[in-house]
Amino acid sequence: MLPIIQIGGAAIQTPGLILLAGIWIGLSVAEKYAKLYKIKADLLYNLSFSDLVAGILGARLSVMVRFPSAFIDNPSSIISLNPSLLDPVGGIAIALAAGLVYTQRKKMNLLKTLDALIPVLAVMGIAIPLANLASGNAFGAPTNLPWGIELWGAERHPSQIYQALAGIAILWLVWPTRQGKKNPAGLLFTNYIILTAGAILLLAAFRGDSVVIWNGWRSEQIVAWLILAFSLWGYSALLHPKKS
Amino acid sequence: MQAYSSRQRIILSVVILLIGAAWTWGSRDTTGSNTGGEIPAPQVGFLAPDFTLQNEAGEFVSLSDFRGKAVLVNLWASWCTPCQREMPAMQSVYDQYKEQGFVVLAVNITSQDSRANAIAFAESLNLTFPILFDVNGEVALAYQMRAFPSSYFIGSDGIIQEVVIGGPMAEALLQVRAEQLLEGVE
Repeated sequence: MLPIIQIGGAAIQTPGLILLAGIWIGLSVAEKYAKLYKIKADLLYNLSFSDLVAGILGARLSVMVRFPSAFIDNPSSIISLNPSLLDPVGGIAIALAAGLVYTQRKKMNLLKTLDALIPVLAVMGIAIPLANLASGNAFGAPTNLPWGIELWGAERHPSQIYQALAGIAILWLVWPTRQGKKNPAGLLFTNYIILTAGAILLLAAFRGDSVVIWNGWRSEQIVAWLILAFSLWGYSALLHPKKS
Repeated sequence: MQAYSSRQRIILSVVILLIGAAWTWGSRDTTGSNTGGEIPAPQVGFLAPDFTLQNEAGEFVSLSDFRGKAVLVNLWASWCTPCQREMPAMQSVYDQYKEQGFVVLAVNITSQDSRANAIAFAESLNLTFPILFDVNGEVALAYQMRAFPSSYFIGSDGIIQEVVIGGPMAEALLQVRAEQLLEGVE
């Protein structure tokens, strides 16, 4: 666990640094291989950048809508750098909406664009668990296994490392040059979702911070199973489209 | 990509989903593997590590004395610029919500500061919330402190709801968290 890197007087938030590095590496790979999906690299970069900005603005806006009085009393807090004043759910919703609008306006093929963005998502699938390892979040359940790590008062499954390893395997499987040239648009994206949902379904069993909804059922596994079912159907539909 | 027929693919999908459902059922958290709330640890979802320290008047104050209230534990030092900058906001939010049960415990890490400087700083800002002195650094150790300031928002049940490492915290953040914590105070 290394939540802070102290450089001189500056305390650098390690998880944030890892996430930024992940976005940069993922985007660089995506731009490099964008032409495989007949997407212009600069359009892909602009889409990612505008999505990122929209996501941050949306995340702040979401908190402002929920707690207007806090910002009316302290208007300078609107531009505060505190990440704690960002709502991830609101940010993702606004980023998705902004991405849709951008692709429509630039007449980008949505399925091909999603395929081209897979390197960003797959690299983030490694960066997020590593950021969690640095912060101590998304920790594992207690275990007696020899590879357990001491964290938060117990020997625990290194669940973040399991997730990072799964992320590496998924990145290898969805690497752009490994894909068939005649694959229908959207197949790589669907493949990625199937693999990621499967990994979450498998690895959530080793988490020590699961949100248990009823009788021990873990909410993340239920959501992952539903996404898996939907994406398996989507995979089949892409490979065997109904003839009109 | 046409290695499997549509029918074979459907059968494979159903098998995958059945295995997934069986795994989900088999890996239910029936033993309470989420140990948050039982083990004291400086992490969201865990019991805030208890401490007993002296205040300016030499009286002993324990974190557990404030069970049932919304508590902000702020670890700080007088030489730390972000700590200095967030203190007025903490005072403002404390004034606004103290009647409703919001408590601020400003723990000066005296092992890395001086008691005289800490008192002079608190007086210069007219801080009215309790200033506690961690002379031996035991709170810094228990909270695994890595940077100044470090703040822990603790619910009425003694469970940590949020950890903010570094600063300064915006006043809106303090206000939002105080309101959220007070929702759990009866």
